[in-house]
Amino acid sequence: MSFKNILENWSAFRKDAEAGGHHKYDHRWGMAINLDVCTGCNACSTACYAENNLPVVGKERFEKGQAMHWMRIERFWDDADKQYPERGASYLPMMCQQCGAATCEPVCPVAATYHTPDGLNAQVYNRCIGSRYCSNNCPFRVRYFNFYSYYETWAEPLNQQLNPDISVRDKGVMEKCTFCVQRIRTANDKAKMENRSIADGEVQTACAQACPTGAIVFGDTMDPNSAVSKLWAKHEVKRGDYLSKKPKQHPEKRGYRIFEELNVDPSVMYLERVREEI
Amino acid sequence: MFYKHVCKLVLPPVLMFVSMLLMSGAPARAELAAPPGVTPPVGTYAGADVAQPIEFPHDIHVNVNKINCMYCHTYARRSKVAGIPPTSKCMGCHKMIATDKPRIQKLTEYFEKRESPKWKKVHDVPDFVHFSHERHVKKFVFDADLPVENVEQVCGLCHGEIKAMTVAKKNKPLTMGFCQRCHEANGGPGDCWKCHK
Repeated sequence: MSFKNILENWSAFRKDAEAGGHHKYDHRWGMAINLDVCTGCNACSTACYAENNLPVVGKERFEKGQAMHWMRIERFWDDADKQYPERGASYLPMMCQQCGAATCEPVCPVAATYHTPDGLNAQVYNRCIGSRYCSNNCPFRVRYFNFYSYYETWAEPLNQQLNPDISVRDKGVMEKCTFCVQRIRTANDKAKMENRSIADGEVQTACAQACPTGAIVFGDTMDPNSAVSKLWAKHEVKRGDYLSKKPKQHPEKRGYRIFEELNVDPSVMYLERVREEI
Repeated sequence: MFYKHVCKLVLPPVLMFVSMLLMSGAPARAELAAPPGVTPPVGTYAGADVAQPIEFPHDIHVNVNKINCMYCHTYARRSKVAGIPPTSKCMGCHKMIATDKPRIQKLTEYFEKRESPKWKKVHDVPDFVHFSHERHVKKFVFDADLPVENVEQVCGLCHGEIKAMTVAKKNKPLTMGFCQRCHEANGGPGDCWKCHK
């Protein structure tokens, strides 16, 4: 291996990363987000706050970069948008991409973040010591650090709506989108109690459930018959293999994964927004 | 003189040794048998007494009346928590049975006031631990074809010998090591995010 090769594709050293690396996967949860129908309404973000016990930090802390939103709507103005501002911005819901070869995992000094057998990038709060290496190594900037003990100052009636299926985090730990793991585990338990495997559509993340336009599709990308797998296949997006990727030929095939060139193998596919050229 | 010394110095250690031998040979109480094919989790814990509003006698209900654990803790096979029975379930029997006993009279008082006794939780794991009773009951009882009347063996893996107690006391550590060693021995999941999330 030449040094050039290492620089170009250091991730090739990972053990069969495309096939799952050290993991034998039961499921690989994934998402498809259709940006064409996303209106940027923030319902997904709000649902995430309600589902995952996220604190509302307020304007001052937000400006300091201490926001705790696991899911944020990013706004973009490309050149055409600037020319025709009445068309509005482009929106992109951004959450943890649950990378197959996550950059946050190898840098954790205490292995508080690791890969689960169902393809999720887990964060174990009790093991986390708050070194924040993971956040600094995340190319998507989707890891959020608890700078304060929000559970102590949770506004009075709202503490009654905390979700008991997920921990309320204390200060000093990192947290991020979990693909609503509590829902996945509940569905998994239910399926196992009935001696079957999880059916497609049985698990819905809070954001997918709340999206008024149905832009977010969640499911198992290992199951070829799931809605999300069909979307991935339709738009010719597949895991790994980024070097042999050809430029998109067909305008109908709008699928892409963010920072695919970093070869972190994200589990979220975005469908490009279609805009008429004026 | 010599006899006195023997009594003072030699006899007590000898007696202690003999009694230790006897005790190790025949323990005071036979341990609850583990269900067949299950490696029981290792560890004991000396839990403090928990003051309950009514001293519910588990020993009488299990040993004398032979009531199954899941008759009262009916949610164990259906949900994450085993559940405390509603007072109406107690009254289903105790309208007629043992109505002269002070504990039952206290219970009847609660029932007539339409209040439930404020039972204190004995086996409590922290909020960041998600333990599911139904999955464990299914694995060790229904999938293992264990006769349901022997379910106390499965409950006893984590709760100890409740039938030897009046008010339940915590006598297993219920720590992560305790859980994890049992998971390793019996093929449970080893994924952090199964229990912590």
